[in-house]
Amino acid sequence: MNAFIKRYEGLWLFTRSPAAIIAAVVALLSIIGAAFAPFIAPVNPYDLASFSLMDGLLPPVWESFGNSKFLLGTDDQGRDIVSSILYGARLSLIIGLSAMTIAAVLGVGLGLASGYYGGRFDMIVMRIADIQLALPAILTALLIDGIARGILPSEIQQDLRVTVLTLAIALSLWVNFARTARASTFVQMQKEYVQAAIIMGQHPIRVMFVHILPNILGPLLVIMTVDLASAILLEATLSFLGIGLPADSPSLGTLIRIGMQFMLSGEWWILWIPTLFLVALVVSINILGDFLRDVFNPRLR
Amino acid sequence: MAYFILKRLIQSVFVMIAVAFLAFSLFRFVGDPITQMTGVETSIEDQERLRENLGLNDPFVMQFARFTSDMLQGDFGYSYRTRQPVGEMISSRVPATLELGVVALIISLLVGIPAGVFTALRPRGFATQTILMTTLVGVSIPTFVIGIMLIFLFGVQLGWLPTFGRGGTIQIGGWNSSLFTIDGWRALLLPAITLGVYQLTLTMRLVRAEMMEVLRSDYIRFGMARGVPMRSLYFKHALANTMVPVITIIGLQFGGVIAFSIVTESVFQWPGMGLLFLESIRFVDIPVMGVYLVVIAFFFVLVNLIVDLLYAAIDPRLRVKDTA
Amino acid sequence: MKMQIISSSALAGGAMLLSVASASAESFKWASNTDPQTMDPHAVNSAPVLSFLNNIYEGLVRRNQDMSIEGSLAQSWEPLTGEDGWRFNLRQGVSFQDGAAFTAEDVMFSYGRASNEAADVRSWFAPVSEVRVVDDYTIDFVTKAPNPLFPDSIANFMILDKGWSETNGAELPARDAENFATMHVNGTGAFALASRDPGVKTVLVPNAGWWGKVEHNITEATFTPIGNAATGLAALLSGEIDFIQPIPLQDVAQVENRDGFKVLEGEETRVIMFGFGHEHDELLYSSDVSGSNPFQDVRIRQAAAHAIDIASIDRVLFRGKIEGASQLVPAGISGYSEANSDRPAYDPEKAKSLLAEAGYPDGFNFGLKCPNDRYINDEALCRAAASMFAAVGMNAELSTGPVRDYWPQLREDAFDMYLLGWSPGTFDMEHPIRFLMSTPNSEKKLGSWNFGGYSNARVDELLPGIQREVDPEARQAMVDEVVAITQAEVAYIPLYTQPLIWAAKDNVDMTQRADNFFMLRWVTVN
Repeated sequence: MNAFIKRYEGLWLFTRSPAAIIAAVVALLSIIGAAFAPFIAPVNPYDLASFSLMDGLLPPVWESFGNSKFLLGTDDQGRDIVSSILYGARLSLIIGLSAMTIAAVLGVGLGLASGYYGGRFDMIVMRIADIQLALPAILTALLIDGIARGILPSEIQQDLRVTVLTLAIALSLWVNFARTARASTFVQMQKEYVQAAIIMGQHPIRVMFVHILPNILGPLLVIMTVDLASAILLEATLSFLGIGLPADSPSLGTLIRIGMQFMLSGEWWILWIPTLFLVALVVSINILGDFLRDVFNPRLR
Repeated sequence: MAYFILKRLIQSVFVMIAVAFLAFSLFRFVGDPITQMTGVETSIEDQERLRENLGLNDPFVMQFARFTSDMLQGDFGYSYRTRQPVGEMISSRVPATLELGVVALIISLLVGIPAGVFTALRPRGFATQTILMTTLVGVSIPTFVIGIMLIFLFGVQLGWLPTFGRGGTIQIGGWNSSLFTIDGWRALLLPAITLGVYQLTLTMRLVRAEMMEVLRSDYIRFGMARGVPMRSLYFKHALANTMVPVITIIGLQFGGVIAFSIVTESVFQWPGMGLLFLESIRFVDIPVMGVYLVVIAFFFVLVNLIVDLLYAAIDPRLRVKDTA
Repeated sequence: MKMQIISSSALAGGAMLLSVASASAESFKWASNTDPQTMDPHAVNSAPVLSFLNNIYEGLVRRNQDMSIEGSLAQSWEPLTGEDGWRFNLRQGVSFQDGAAFTAEDVMFSYGRASNEAADVRSWFAPVSEVRVVDDYTIDFVTKAPNPLFPDSIANFMILDKGWSETNGAELPARDAENFATMHVNGTGAFALASRDPGVKTVLVPNAGWWGKVEHNITEATFTPIGNAATGLAALLSGEIDFIQPIPLQDVAQVENRDGFKVLEGEETRVIMFGFGHEHDELLYSSDVSGSNPFQDVRIRQAAAHAIDIASIDRVLFRGKIEGASQLVPAGISGYSEANSDRPAYDPEKAKSLLAEAGYPDGFNFGLKCPNDRYINDEALCRAAASMFAAVGMNAELSTGPVRDYWPQLREDAFDMYLLGWSPGTFDMEHPIRFLMSTPNSEKKLGSWNFGGYSNARVDELLPGIQREVDPEARQAMVDEVVAITQAEVAYIPLYTQPLIWAAKDNVDMTQRADNFFMLRWVTVN
């Protein structure tokens, strides 16, 4: 009942907020573009045979040396920027969404259990959270990358770079979920409906996921959008620091890192177009997050 | 309460040991330190001898045991790269990072709180929408892009501020501070702004949300009904209540600031702990990496402890379960 | 941090210089992306350290602007009679920065120190069997076999003062904790250390008691490492530093177009090449070839060589600044084989027909390993090369990573093809033959960077002859033969020589040396 009313109100609010509409449109377009990149993009920039060095460093089509085959120009390898952005956004979103999901599942799960059981379990979980917080995302990424390289046979290492990176980002994000879920769970545990369920002998899992979870979703959803944005930005930063994805299958973040080399040299499009795209994407996600926060907090209206 | 603190401190020691263990066991995977310490002409024999002398061939448990026992005795080892005592290296960089972090935090508060109040008081205004939009874009651009843009705008194009480094520093006791020279402040400004943008936005939104919630509360309405002047209502009553959760958040933010500072220090060549850590990764300087992580772990448990104490002090509901 | 207070001699020297200098006294600031990690010239055999310390310490010989060897602390030297080796006649009247006199005892001591197990430069003295002090200003280095190149090979061997080292507990280079020599200096060179903050800032001042002719006008030189290329460029363009090395290629036009700045371009003595796993019987990273290694067939290696279009790489990736390389040293280096100076032409059709001939008409997959932070545009180069290989059917799966992971992987043979850059420490062809072409033999210290295990008996046979031959023509003939063999067998695919790109303010005159060493004593600030 609660959820239904919220949804209806949410839609109503949505149509009244131009920022939210624009954000949603941008986000939707990006996501569709990214999801269907293999079909929309002129070429597959990950296929090494599809581009040639001779086409390198061409400016966007509206500049003097532009070529209509490459609407937004090419990078130093001759890759089409349009295709790179689409495929890159796809990879960024895949990483961001996967990392966020893993973090959410892990974090909320641990947070719920922590709040429910309390005591020693809670203490252990919180100390583990401390350990996780102490390891900066950069190091987590580095170390997981390192373990992967040490344990896995060399042949499949390259394929697993994306997985490794996703895991690393997820590990740096779960603590937020856990702490918020834990704090909210503590509050809910005092409420009658929960105590009633426990007394009635319902299984703890049922109590946690069927009764408590729906009532603490609000702030968690907000964290989800914030963390999705963070994950995408974190991937860009890790790339900047040299621990990101390999250059021949770049995400938006890697494209920006490559583009940084051309910041001042005249080939502005290699840096600024992917940056613009990334910013637009992240802004949309943030606006949606804001919007969700407002929806779930009726007192702010 | 004292018992609680003691228990947490003991747990903290375990946390630090766990961090050390994790980090240490994974160091073997971050690259080969020997090739970073020797030239191309060094024979394989000599490299192997160096490896043996540094104890890198010893079983993991032995290396870790040596590391922890040394640390407990206060011996933090020597950098593989520069041979300096690691303890000295890290402690010499602490002032730079802390000053940067504190100034960034202060900037974020000085701008964020008034902005938060303003946007709360005029939620539909054009200025509010602009501020919200700008800050939103601000946190959506990767930090390193912001940093480089600022460097080129203010450092190169306008020439107003230095592009790198810390400027003039003065030794006060053991603390190397750049806060006492104009040069130092000029150098501090851009990195602090870069680092502070994220915190600023967060603070602003938080203040705004809290303020808006408080403004709708009953006793404010009663105040309005009784004719108390709006200004007094806003600042004496509403703002005061808003500050409480903000203060607790600051503790958490500071931890984030230290983590974010790695990128900022890298872009601005700011000689702090973050830059030291990055370089130690680049050169596989394992002793420095290990000690840095343990120090950071200690720092975080300290901050968490303080924040948890504040939470427990403020919200009794959280207190009951916490002392389990 | 430990900062050395300005030593009184340096202060006095500075004051003297101010009063004596003809041109106006100038302070000079420069930056690079790597800080010299120690001030001890025997501790680490790395270019950033040796380049920096060449301003403070000196050796028996040194290289001048055009890389030729000239006397430094030794005025002359001649081969020994009756035994193999060299006699060095030392310069008289030279003193260290602390005032101590320079004599053969200091050379003897420094030799002992540099050839000790704790020193990283000891490989330079592997050919030496004995060192004798003849008198205060004469010293003999006896070698195990005739060694015409020995004086050239010790150009970076720097002399420390025996008394100073012993008084300060620095008899050996620091191997664990730092010692006095790690942070302090006492050299005979043109500059002295005023302060040292590792990783942050190092300041040099002129050495008033220097024996040489002062051609510079610097009163104070400050070095700061700047790790981020964009930040470094900003520092130069804002005027905060006077010189930075290197700058990224794509920023050259930017700098040149700005008033007040200039770019110094040259070729480094570093050749970039691809290497193969000659000893690998199987490809490790292939999805369609198992049980054999196509690269063991010379036709496949030739095909790979013909697939690369250096001209396009030069134009697009390097903005016209590289020179194609035919062998493992650049033209102009001692030992360069003029007779074999053609590199394989870009001929994709030929590449495809060679592949078909060798039994791979549809090509095959393999793994290409490259570093991404070691050589200029290394990652971009490998991507371009992978794309070119793909165009003839050889599909490369590119794997790049930071150099700290790269070397261990190469040592563990985890590659099918790899990228390598080589700068010959002795500026002679014998160097890459010894390290890259010789059959690996750790006892004789041969082939330690020959990761692929290339092995040719004739090359191994010729090497000792090359090392001992005194007659330049006979020697070159042997070198020519080695080059011809290795080219025919495509031991490596030499690609190009790496460019040197320095950027400075217009009003600064300096010399760019092909080994990328920066000498303050050739700098004039106008």
